[in-house]
Amino acid sequence: MSKEAIIQAAYDSIIECDEEKAMKALDDAKEQGISFVELLSEGFSAGIRELGERFAFGEVFLPELMACTEVMQKAVAIIEEEMEKSGQQTKKKGVMVIGTVEGDIHDIGKGIVASMVKTNGIEVHDLGREVPARVFVEKAEEYGADFIGSSALLTTTMTVQKEIEEILKKEGLKGKYKTMVGGAPVTQRWADKIGADAFCEDATEAVKTIQKWLKEMGREEGM
Amino acid sequence: MIFKTLRHEKTNEIPWVPFAGVHAGKLKGYTAEEVLTDADKLVESLLEVKRIYEPDGMPITFDLQVEAEIFGCELLWAKDNPPSVRSHPLSGEKKIPCKCEIPTPDSGRIPLILDATRRVKREIGDEVALYGLICGPFTLASHLRGSEIFMDMIKDQEYVTALVDYCAEVACKMAEYYIDAGVDVVAVVDPLVSQVSPAHIDKMLAPAFTAVFDFIRSKGVFSSFFVCGNATRQIDAMCRTNPDSISIDENVDLAKAKEITDKYNITIGGNLPLTTTMLLGNQQDNMVEVIKLIDSVKDHRNFIISPGCDMPYDTPIENTIAAGQAVKRPEQARKMVENYEAAEEDIEVEIPDYENLDKVLIEVFTLDSDTCAACTYMLKSVTDIYDEIKDIADYVEYKYTDKENIARMKKMGVNALPSIYINGEPKWESIIPSREELIRDIESALKK
Repeated sequence: MSKEAIIQAAYDSIIECDEEKAMKALDDAKEQGISFVELLSEGFSAGIRELGERFAFGEVFLPELMACTEVMQKAVAIIEEEMEKSGQQTKKKGVMVIGTVEGDIHDIGKGIVASMVKTNGIEVHDLGREVPARVFVEKAEEYGADFIGSSALLTTTMTVQKEIEEILKKEGLKGKYKTMVGGAPVTQRWADKIGADAFCEDATEAVKTIQKWLKEMGREEGM
Repeated sequence: MIFKTLRHEKTNEIPWVPFAGVHAGKLKGYTAEEVLTDADKLVESLLEVKRIYEPDGMPITFDLQVEAEIFGCELLWAKDNPPSVRSHPLSGEKKIPCKCEIPTPDSGRIPLILDATRRVKREIGDEVALYGLICGPFTLASHLRGSEIFMDMIKDQEYVTALVDYCAEVACKMAEYYIDAGVDVVAVVDPLVSQVSPAHIDKMLAPAFTAVFDFIRSKGVFSSFFVCGNATRQIDAMCRTNPDSISIDENVDLAKAKEITDKYNITIGGNLPLTTTMLLGNQQDNMVEVIKLIDSVKDHRNFIISPGCDMPYDTPIENTIAAGQAVKRPEQARKMVENYEAAEEDIEVEIPDYENLDKVLIEVFTLDSDTCAACTYMLKSVTDIYDEIKDIADYVEYKYTDKENIARMKKMGVNALPSIYINGEPKWESIIPSREELIRDIESALKK
């Protein structure tokens, strides 16, 4: 089997949510000595990026996205394990804390963003749901994060996103972290109003925004 | 008018159905939790919705958690939102609940809703179509199973079909209870339908939804399929489940969606933007949005104007009044918006010297007290007591229909209509004062 065919199989396994195919691509790559880094970036990651695009365009829906992200996570876990075994450290390109804000328990979307960002080589700390503004900041400090992502699904809980910005400003941390906001009622207008660095409509946009920031920060782009 | 529209007949006006769920409570100063747990407060709030917003149709409650609560889902209550489901009894356990668990008229908060429905029906049932809102089978399935339901759709479609079918049985029972209590339209509210593919809808959800709509029809009332979120791709599949009407959220292009619903001869309702316009906009924004919506649709048959989804609790009352006014009198609203823009040019208006008036001056600012109910009541609150106060106070009405009045309102910073200013001070905005409250305010202005 050619290298191209194996990488294509990795890509297809994500688009088709085919766990068996993903595992076989990993086995084939190992057998033929193909670099896992290449398999990840050219195969699996390219697949999840394409899937994200299709989701954004309304061609793929939530169940498919969740199932395919699960396949992706399994593939990434194996690659990381293999690389550690072989002494190669998978260096994380950035660190993110993410959560659904206090008073809000809607976490499907936030979970997807967390998974997608994670599979793109970012260390993600999912703080769960009902997270107070203060905790976002504390955890960002604790984990040495670069990015803070908050999700709010109710018009009444959106205000917690504003609180996060206020705490950051008050404590002189505003420039230290890039903040992104999301959730059904959240808009660009809201992000501008509260001073968040970005509004992300969906997981694909969150990944793109982080890629853009990494580039600005002078970290490698190749996700 | 709602009946005519749902029978797909031509109407002279476009019907107006404001989804004042928990927002109804705001009109009477009650929290979301109070209106959803206390029948007296709910009834009082609903009667106020009818009085102030002049709807053609209105929901009794907009709470998709009633059924879930009965099945043991833990709820997170809020003072300004409907509750959210916090725990999912079937999470981690793939089973179908026993039929013996299907809610009865005595389960959970159902008696409260039925009681409120009967009382509201008695009071205003002849003038307004009452909507009974039930949780759609797919959303109920997700309440029970949690987000695992989405993975089940890929990995175990038989289970999803069985669970959704079970939830459809629940929906039919709920519909039956509400119909018996007097609702005119049963709305099957299923926001999550916007999250799954049309193919999945056809395969796993459609038979259940069709069964519910057929059941509602067999009971002689109308049905509606409410969806929240961007359901652009799902409209066709939704139509195929055969409801009498569909109600869509703000992120769907209503004019385009209507081309699809028209093919099926299904009525479409929607889709004023909840946050940017209704909650955060002003009265002009709301009128403009309604006019835009009306103009975007060629054929006004099979068309209802309503908010995209459940109105935020804190939606300014005056915004809803302005939206309703624009639906009912689009030509007048068009003129008002034009005048508002024209009044940007300087029109000279003289503001009274409030400090040195002989009598207290009551200024009533209205959209138009001849046509807008809330404005009529606001003005009436003054005229009703006028005989008692005429020695100490004068009143004047400024209607928004006049350019000069708009310039005056701008100059004085009036941005909620109707409102009452006493000696230049805003005293009552959108909320109509009682006789005692108004007299108290006039007397206190006199003392100053």
